Amino acid sequence: MKNKAVYFFLLPGIIFLVIFALLPMIQIFYFSLIDYTLIGSRSYNAFGNYIKLFGDERFWHVFLNSFLYLAVTPLLIIVSLLLALLLRENKKISIILRSVYFLPVVTPLVIAGIIWRWIFAEDTGLMNYLLSIINISNIPWLSSFPENMISLFIVTIWRGAGYYMMIFLAGLAVLPKEIEEAAEIDGAGYISKVFYIIIPQLKYVISLVFVVSAASAIKIFTELYVMIPGAPMDNKTIVYYLFSEAFEKFDFGVSSAAGVILFLITLGFSIANIKLMEHQK
Amino acid sequence: MKKKLGSIKYLFLILFSIVAVFPFLWLLSTSFKGAEEVFLFPPKLFPSKINTDNYIGIVNAIPLWRYFFNTLFVVISTIGVNVLIASLTGFALARFNFKFKNIFFMIILASMLVPKEIIVIPLYRTVLSLGLVDTLFGVVLPFAAEGFAIFMMRQAFLSIPKDIEEAAIIDGANLFNLWFKVLLPITKPTLATLVIFTFIGTWGDFIWPLIILKSSENFTLQVGLSYMLGTFVNNYRYVAAGSVIALIPVIVVFFSMQKYFIKGIITGSGK
Repeated sequence: MKNKAVYFFLLPGIIFLVIFALLPMIQIFYFSLIDYTLIGSRSYNAFGNYIKLFGDERFWHVFLNSFLYLAVTPLLIIVSLLLALLLRENKKISIILRSVYFLPVVTPLVIAGIIWRWIFAEDTGLMNYLLSIINISNIPWLSSFPENMISLFIVTIWRGAGYYMMIFLAGLAVLPKEIEEAAEIDGAGYISKVFYIIIPQLKYVISLVFVVSAASAIKIFTELYVMIPGAPMDNKTIVYYLFSEAFEKFDFGVSSAAGVILFLITLGFSIANIKLMEHQK
Repeated sequence: MKKKLGSIKYLFLILFSIVAVFPFLWLLSTSFKGAEEVFLFPPKLFPSKINTDNYIGIVNAIPLWRYFFNTLFVVISTIGVNVLIASLTGFALARFNFKFKNIFFMIILASMLVPKEIIVIPLYRTVLSLGLVDTLFGVVLPFAAEGFAIFMMRQAFLSIPKDIEEAAIIDGANLFNLWFKVLLPITKPTLATLVIFTFIGTWGDFIWPLIILKSSENFTLQVGLSYMLGTFVNNYRYVAAGSVIALIPVIVVFFSMQKYFIKGIITGSGK
């Protein structure tokens, strides 16, 4: 159809996206190049903010932590793929358990953080109590690095596994049955069937889950804000740093420079994601 | 061998079920405990009696119901505006040919590449200049349109056969009726998925409301809960009761609309 009325339909969405996504991103690039604090001159500052950012030892800590945090993604893939394989058949019990495992996914992050903060509490928490039964005592789940990163890993896996399980189930549902049946006739056991037949066919789904979960892991913030607010910046991640530079220290220029760096990283994940989606079609 | 594998399978399933559900039970149990029971070591799994004092206590200590209705307002407006905008723009992209169509399409794709966490400073400035800092409108506005929602609606309109709209035009339907009365009802499953995903996402949203809301009476539940966690550091029972109240709506929506979740994950797994 050709009709001038198209703009009535088209423009509301376009205007919102330009004002609340595209222009802000351009502004972030611009802010990262000016002297922008509460009392700053707002004049062109060349790469001053980047020099300040790269000279800040805390930035390198949060940068490294964010990448270390990506180590959660292979664990997440293993757990969610295992769940999908176990619940692959459309039996009643599988359908019920899929919902059970999905429940953490819909739980708001703040609430998930609150619950796990108590479970990991060092003196009174359940985790250390359970470990004390097998003679492991007083692990500083929240107050020391890298223990607190491991706690965050556990929360991320708890909250994410059900989601990626669903993606894997969708991937498993479209696999042709014949190949597996042929393998069974040839006498392949379940384990070898999984490793030699199923996983190779899920190659693209696995890469997709990797990219999607990595893109979300690198932006982790709320869990830290709720679970380890008192920990030093050295234990935190990029989004926490850019939040703190902007809204606690009011250095918008440096915060924007950190934002540009994070944007470039997530852009890499997004491009990989688009490539994988194209491949699947 | 097969039997052994079967029992390992059930062992795993039981273990995972415990891990998935236990934190919720722990929260529920804490919310009913008495003051003396919370810090017991070893921790007590169940309260000695069901004690509703914490629920009464938290509602008296903070304006929890106010937070609840603030959240409801934010969620419903975000859903309403998003669905309206996405179905308008999705329709335009799926059914019209116009100048610079590719550029408009690129704008939508590009917006999906921008994480909201990164652009909070300019968003804050925009909302500030509109005088909407510390208001619920300020919470909603930057999330009123989402690229992925427009994209989803475009796909839904594309999958409707052209004959339907040609028949409607022959019957004399104007453009608005064609969109609203003929095609939009057909996209209902996608609309439902969109509504549910926006509900869950917005109900739990934290970083933006945390930045934009200043006074307690405007807090959403998530901001209120995190604030509460700071004030009542050692009063687990109150925080637990507040969290249970904040959790009930998502659990209800989830269990009543499960089938749309699965559809949404499959179509939207690229998000």
